[in-house]
Amino acid sequence: MRYDSITDAIGNTPLVRIDPAVHGLRNIDLFAKLEMLNPFGSVKDRAAWNMARPLLAEAVEHGSQVVELSSGNTAKALAVVAGMHGLGFKSVTNRMRVPEIKDLLLLLGAQIEELPGQSECLDPTATDDPLTLFHRTLSASGSTYLHTDQYYNPRNTEAHLTGTGPEIVKDLDGRVPDWFVACVGTAGSSTGVARALREEDPSVRVVGLVAAKSDFIPGIRTIDEVQEVGLFDPETYDTMESVSADEAIEGMLTLNRRCGILGGPTGGAAYHGAVRHLRAVDEELTERRTAVFIVCDRVESYLSYVRQRRPDLLGRPPRKNSPADLTDAEVGGAPSVTVAEARRWIDSEGPLVVDLRSPYAYAALHIDGSVNIVDELFAELLQGGVPFSRSRPVLLACPVGEQSARYAALLTRMGHPDVRSLAGGIIAWRDAGAPLVRD
Amino acid sequence: MGGRPLYLEPRLEPRLRSLLAATGTLRSLTDALGSPLHVVVPDQIAENLERFRSVYRRHHLSGQVYYAHKANRSSALLRRLAATDAGVDVASLGELQHALGAGFTADRITATGPKNPEFLWLAALTGVTVSVDGAGELDQLAALVRKHALAPVRVLLRLSGFETSGVKVLSRRSRFGTPVRELDPLLEAVERHGDAVELTGVAYHLDTTSVAEKATALEGALAALEACRSRGLRPRAVDVGGGFGVSYLAEREQWEAYTTALTAAVLGRRPPLTWGGHGYGLRGESGTLRGVLGLYPAHRSVAGAAYLDELLAQPAASLGGRPLAALLLEHLYDLHSEPGRALLDQCGLTLAKVLEVRSQEAGGALLVRLAAKADDIALEDHGVLVDPVVIPGSGAGPGEGPVAVHLFGGLCLETDLITRRTVFLPRRPVPGDLLAFANTAGYAMDFHATRAQHQPVARKVAAWQDGDAWRWCLDDQFWPITPSGGAQ
Ligand SMILES: Cc1ncc(COP(=O)(O)O)c(C=O)c1O
Repeated sequence: MRYDSITDAIGNTPLVRIDPAVHGLRNIDLFAKLEMLNPFGSVKDRAAWNMARPLLAEAVEHGSQVVELSSGNTAKALAVVAGMHGLGFKSVTNRMRVPEIKDLLLLLGAQIEELPGQSECLDPTATDDPLTLFHRTLSASGSTYLHTDQYYNPRNTEAHLTGTGPEIVKDLDGRVPDWFVACVGTAGSSTGVARALREEDPSVRVVGLVAAKSDFIPGIRTIDEVQEVGLFDPETYDTMESVSADEAIEGMLTLNRRCGILGGPTGGAAYHGAVRHLRAVDEELTERRTAVFIVCDRVESYLSYVRQRRPDLLGRPPRKNSPADLTDAEVGGAPSVTVAEARRWIDSEGPLVVDLRSPYAYAALHIDGSVNIVDELFAELLQGGVPFSRSRPVLLACPVGEQSARYAALLTRMGHPDVRSLAGGIIAWRDAGAPLVRD
Repeated sequence: MGGRPLYLEPRLEPRLRSLLAATGTLRSLTDALGSPLHVVVPDQIAENLERFRSVYRRHHLSGQVYYAHKANRSSALLRRLAATDAGVDVASLGELQHALGAGFTADRITATGPKNPEFLWLAALTGVTVSVDGAGELDQLAALVRKHALAPVRVLLRLSGFETSGVKVLSRRSRFGTPVRELDPLLEAVERHGDAVELTGVAYHLDTTSVAEKATALEGALAALEACRSRGLRPRAVDVGGGFGVSYLAEREQWEAYTTALTAAVLGRRPPLTWGGHGYGLRGESGTLRGVLGLYPAHRSVAGAAYLDELLAQPAASLGGRPLAALLLEHLYDLHSEPGRALLDQCGLTLAKVLEVRSQEAGGALLVRLAAKADDIALEDHGVLVDPVVIPGSGAGPGEGPVAVHLFGGLCLETDLITRRTVFLPRRPVPGDLLAFANTAGYAMDFHATRAQHQPVARKVAAWQDGDAWRWCLDDQFWPITPSGGAQ
């Protein structure tokens, strides 16, 4: 395979059979369309390229900025395409809730603007919602934007009508699957594929999946939110079903761990939704059938999403010398000194004063002569042993004396002969009128 | 009626639940004092304060919780709060007088919002902390202090227009406060007026439900305080304003089902759910939903003190990613907050008597006329959708089965609708029944009330529990030492 441009590598993604031992369907062959293997990582590469391509020459001429309302994958593909043509890219969104995706977009040179939240003191007569303003700015005459408008642009759907759909039929040796299952975001992929399949065989059944209303699955809309999508037509789907975030993650784990398909939560939702829907009909079948679902993108971008919802999946082995495994008695018995005692002690024996607060707080005001080792770093250091000489006494200080007591107990347990915690912390120090400096 | 009834049942905590069960008391109250009638429950505000305090304690933060007075004019609520350790945030001369009269000493009051000279003078004279809107107000305040030989006034600088690096968080524009971009000239003014004002910190109040925007502002406020310190000023507080929200509905599922049905109605896929097909900001354009839902998100999983907790847990990217609470604590800053609506959660209800129940066409919604004006029960004005609770009248036999109704008031305006949506009630009301609108204390009692058409505004009473019984007095008669009431 040799290409002149990375954009030539968009499309022609593999259709991979899911092992029946994993999904447990007896009469249905289930296939995953691996859109995650597009060069920029998702099903959106097709739409982004198809929408932008005819407008690029003119955009380059005018030096236009590419803009899109996107929370992730479309933005990623457009940022790359824009960059390849020397254009800037801006994503406007209120849905970008996954930090890695934000960082990745910034890395790709994108500019991100987040829409403001809803007003708390509601004025029901207000009409200038942020999206309306966004569209007004774009359509103002003389502006130089290339707005791909993925929620309304028929070229989004077209990319799948001419690409994704026919590829599926080709890889099934010219047969149309009996079921097609897809998550609905812009509705572009599900609508385009559904149309392509129906043209070949109108009996295909199309299952659209949305996120449960109170849940958030990145890239998918809820049953109400899809109504805001210009490309969405309820007639496209034989049925709409919803998937919870937990189910999406479970489905993702199955794809990741048992199928070797490193898809993200949307792929997981599609897998879960497909198996759930098909299990009911599988029992009644007497002949073999086929179903296809789409794996939209890759798991790597969603680690913090997983960490937030399923920290158990990212559990790390317990750490050594962790303040977490101290008993309450140990913490309660930690050696401590009052502010007055500490001041005398500093004058007489000159203990090393360690301030555990953040560098910003330390820079603003601290005890003269102290060193700053922020608590997280201090915890790391202690895993390797006591990070200073045992011959010098140490005074630990934090805001209110709580963390410093834990670390004093831990260091005592680790064998330091003279570590004390400043009782009441820097706040007590300040309230006692003891000097704080910024140097 | 079109399908199953779409209930939006109110969230009721034990106090309001118990008050609603005291039907005899509520009936005799409206018999004596008329309809509509507001009932406030002062003890609840003290309990709500305690929830905020516990968030402060959990993060070891000191600082004051200032009740935003604008949300309710009640004297009883204010006086009950005066008997706690809370502060009050006043936004007018009248509110300041009211707070002083309720027993708040100046060290427990902040003055915010745009101020006229009388308000500024009384604040300066009594020693209230002033949240200064801009350089002009600072000049005006300093001139007053000098001219009348007053002691230096403590000031917070109210800031707005906070910006992030990396991802730009677009923020709703505010008419109030000084944009952080103009902080330097403002600080120069503070230094110039060093004889008349003492800077104690910075403040903001953002009208948004977004935690991210508020976190951006708090992070920006920390940076502003650092700018103050680098000039040798000694600030010690950040005031994060209010806007922590209230969850009005008991059940998330009802809210979700309702908003989904509303969407379908706007798109013409089910019969209208509102008077005249009003869409609450949504409209259908060739099968696609346009506009935004102009409704208060009436079911919240996180509101009030829990919202503050969530805000404080946000990491501050520009300050090493530590949580905001940890940064406040480490910098030794006091945290001030100004909850209005959130402190008034579950603090009252509004009663209205049913005057007339009229059928329109067969199967259509009933028209229910209440002895009230829409502006007396201003839930709808704030986009809050919640069902009233039907309290049977003394003689009235209960009607059977759920009904759909439109609730309207006594003004001669078509717009005097108490609810623009079709309300579903578990049974048909009859004249003499009371409808109780729960949780109206925050902004929905007197924020909008007028005296149009010589119709009196609703009266207000304060109620408290005395063993198993509910007792009451006129709002203005309530003091925390009222027998058996308030803070014994
Ligand atoms: C300065 C200030 N603080 C606090 C509040 C109270 O906000 P909420 O009632 O949403 O808590 C307001 C409301 O407008 C305000 O302007």
